[in-house]
Amino acid sequence: MKPSPVSNCERRFLLRAIEEGKRLDGRQCYDYRNVRISFGTEYGCCIVELGKTRVLAQVSCELVPPKPSRPTEGILFVNLELSPMAAPGLEPGRQSDLLVKLNRQIERCLRNSRCIDTESLCVVAGEKVWQIRLDMHLLNHDGNIIDAASIAGIVALCHFRRPDVSVQGEEVTVYTPEERDPVPLSIHHMPICVSFAFFQQGTYLLVDPSEREERVMDGLLVIAMNKHQEICTIDSSGGIVLLKNQVLRCSKITAVKVAEITELIQKALENDQKVRKEGGKFGFAESIPNQKITAFKMESAAVDTNNVEEQAEEIITKADPPSEVFANPVLYTPGTAQIGEGIENSWGDFEESEREEAAEEEGEGDATASECQKMEIEGTSIIEETKTDEPILLSDSEEEEVVILQPQELPKKTRAQTNLKQGSTSKKAFIKRRKKKRAAH
Amino acid sequence: VAMELWGYRAMGGSCLRPFSCELGPLSRPDGSAAFLQGDTSVLAALYGPAEAKGNRELPERAALEVLLRPKTGLPGVGERSREQLLRRTCEAVVLGRLHPRCAVSVVLQVVADGGSLLSCCLNAACMGLLDAGLPLASLFCGVTCALHPDGSLILDPTTRQEQEARAVLTFAIDSAEKKVLMASTKGACSMEEMQQCIAAAQSAADTIFQFYRDSIRRRYSKS
Amino acid sequence: MTAAAAGRDSGSSIAAEESGAEPQAPPYRAATATRKRTPRRCREWPLAGELALRCRHPLAAGARHHRRHAAGKGFRSVTRWRHLQGGSGAAMAEAFKTVEPLEYYRRFLKENCRPDGRELGEFRTTTVNIGSITTADGSALVKFGNTTVICGVKAELATPTEDSANKGYIVPNVELPSLCSPRFRSGPPGEEAQAASQFIADVIENSQIIAKEDLCIANGKLVWVLYCDIICMDYDGNLLDASAFALLAALKNVQLPSVTINEETGLSEVNFKQKNPLMIRKHPVATSFAIFDDTLLIVDPNAEEEDLATGTVTVVTDEEDRLCSVHKPGGSPLTGAKLQDCITRAITRQREVKKLIDKVINSIKPK
Repeated sequence: MKPSPVSNCERRFLLRAIEEGKRLDGRQCYDYRNVRISFGTEYGCCIVELGKTRVLAQVSCELVPPKPSRPTEGILFVNLELSPMAAPGLEPGRQSDLLVKLNRQIERCLRNSRCIDTESLCVVAGEKVWQIRLDMHLLNHDGNIIDAASIAGIVALCHFRRPDVSVQGEEVTVYTPEERDPVPLSIHHMPICVSFAFFQQGTYLLVDPSEREERVMDGLLVIAMNKHQEICTIDSSGGIVLLKNQVLRCSKITAVKVAEITELIQKALENDQKVRKEGGKFGFAESIPNQKITAFKMESAAVDTNNVEEQAEEIITKADPPSEVFANPVLYTPGTAQIGEGIENSWGDFEESEREEAAEEEGEGDATASECQKMEIEGTSIIEETKTDEPILLSDSEEEEVVILQPQELPKKTRAQTNLKQGSTSKKAFIKRRKKKRAAH
Repeated sequence: VAMELWGYRAMGGSCLRPFSCELGPLSRPDGSAAFLQGDTSVLAALYGPAEAKGNRELPERAALEVLLRPKTGLPGVGERSREQLLRRTCEAVVLGRLHPRCAVSVVLQVVADGGSLLSCCLNAACMGLLDAGLPLASLFCGVTCALHPDGSLILDPTTRQEQEARAVLTFAIDSAEKKVLMASTKGACSMEEMQQCIAAAQSAADTIFQFYRDSIRRRYSKS
Repeated sequence: MTAAAAGRDSGSSIAAEESGAEPQAPPYRAATATRKRTPRRCREWPLAGELALRCRHPLAAGARHHRRHAAGKGFRSVTRWRHLQGGSGAAMAEAFKTVEPLEYYRRFLKENCRPDGRELGEFRTTTVNIGSITTADGSALVKFGNTTVICGVKAELATPTEDSANKGYIVPNVELPSLCSPRFRSGPPGEEAQAASQFIADVIENSQIIAKEDLCIANGKLVWVLYCDIICMDYDGNLLDASAFALLAALKNVQLPSVTINEETGLSEVNFKQKNPLMIRKHPVATSFAIFDDTLLIVDPNAEEEDLATGTVTVVTDEEDRLCSVHKPGGSPLTGAKLQDCITRAITRQREVKKLIDKVINSIKPK
């Protein structure tokens, strides 16, 4: 699918609206879109919706040997994928500039800010540590991927539970969820990214740009901050120059937004915890609102399978029984056997129907032989064309030389293996014999 | 309720897990659907028919592409092989000749795997095709059957049931004549068992097609 | 294009690629070289429509007679450029085929035979050669008509993972190099190769052809890994059957050296003089069918038939008639009864192939 470009008039329209302090979705300049968080049935799985932008995050873990430079620390691996479903023009498996940039930002936001305690992930120093893998997929692209991904990432990490382990001597035991309750990761703080789009060399500023706004913006400032108002990363891209005041103003806005979002995350996590504890229903199925006209649900439905046995029996009895007549295999040489016709040929000289090909293979410069073969092949129906065929055969010969190795090489090998002492001379004689046979045919 | 269902299952009957479906959950694609079978959830998005890129163009029909995205890690050989199964199943029902030289791309994202994943992918793909309004020759649905070591047949198994099972068979059944569009099996079974599974899948297909119909009816109802 | 001519075409186009453009190449050669990936329909041929109309199909004279004729020489060896010179009945048929390949096939299938002379339920000549690669631990070369597949098994020693301490590994890989057919490009494996690899892996897993415990040498310490590389050398349809057969024959041919673990040093010692065959527990055999016009099933389709067919089914059975795989990747829908017909045919085929393998294995057994 090809991406759709933004037309000039649409660009002008958007920019004019921004100059007038209006946004297409009716938001004010500093408004953030609604954030919706839903959890899957597994631990560490969530979908975050930021307006229409949607990101799926899943955390998984694995016991691995640690990096030699940090033998007592676990590993956090973060990966964001731009799924081709998110927007037309996103190719699967391609490392686009946007993807590389987003992954670097997410890594700085979640890993370099040391928000999770990697030392607590060590099981046996220098031998076994937990590797926590955070996979994120962009499902729908409506702008501001980085904010949605950073929220989804941290929520999934907070939600995740790893299996409990115990170490006795050298023996490491990993407990299943039935044996011991899985344990949550220890999270120091929750960094959240907030994006600002700049227009007209920084004159206008919008919080949480949508996809259309992103396509006409001049520059982007991303600030990652936690609720203690500590800035984790700050990144300005797009090649605009920002004044100190602007950055300060943005960081103030960030502080407000981060406080709001953190509160929302904590509420969502508590809610999910509560439902799980009380044994209520949870998972994505529950997150689809019932009253939605586009959604439909069906309770567990019984299927009548009582007469499947009779139906199966009927089909089988009606069908013909397997044939009792089998083709008998013919052993050609030790190690080579065949079912079907064409057994008088040697290995590599295949079946009757392919004599033409085979004949050309054998025709290595042996002009007379090849000619009479040709006569033989085409003889019955189109004798007069033997001559017109000649140039084709000649030009074919060089490529056929490569093929030729096969019929001579293979039988030799099988013979060597089966200890049948036959020299290459007998092979040649054999070929000649066959040619004679053909000519007589 | 759980005991009741269990009892039904023990009696030789079988049941499907709760199904949910949301049509058009995504704003960007031309058609999209989220399909849930118990704890298994797949999101399908469809783009097209649109201009095909370079070499993918076919002169007399639409080029269909199916991409299956796993939840963790990158797609591997298993995904590629399932993509082939899904693509050929979709190709069999999509009236591609109505859109020559176009491309249609179906992207399936595994959201949660709680067993019967392939059948959920099939159902999500069909709902995605429906939501996009692509002309189809018939509908199809996916049904997974597991053969328990004790000989009983389980429809729409969970991951646990799949692991315990001797064989797991997945079929795609078409809505026109309830024939088998696609078959894929894991483990070994006798031919009697396979015919039983087909018959059970055809029986389950009725329920699933009714679910399709009801959800589409609701989608286009006024209230 | 008949099977033989198709094979020849692919050969010549490869040669053209290798040696660059040949100035003295006759016109039809150049055409085949550039024709590589275009559809089978002939565009550059002005007489196409007319010939199709005038064409008296040879089948009109009687199918039985034609069966012989089709399999014979004259009919097949006609190359395309001859049409422009002469107008024999065979040339007409060939023209008809180029223009309306599907209709051409339908006329044959109506008479229960196929253009290459086979009946609908007939396999191509199947040839197997074992021990074809002397450097591999086990190998086999299998031919189904033109389709040629070679399988080499390489055994290596490895340490098992903790959760499967007493199990070895079997790693199959199917390769479709660009030399086997013009439809494949060189580079990373395409969808068909990957799907075939997965199919073979599924067959191994489902049928339990080898108990993985048999590959264990020392529990938790040393196991065999069998790398089964299956390479297609000539692609003319029915890759799955040929690959599965080649794998089975190669595994039957495997001779593993005996390995002992020295108690004192804890190191493994390999004794190359004493070799043991693998224990093959099951003999799964794949049988593929192509579906024509939604109803007709033909066995062992060649590449041309696969392209024209509306779907394929592959059934894998073992000697106890268990179904190790029923693989139907989409395509025309089939009823349970039709699938049952496929299973029945597959069971017969399994017996034949089993006999063939036994015969060939016994023929080289040291006495």
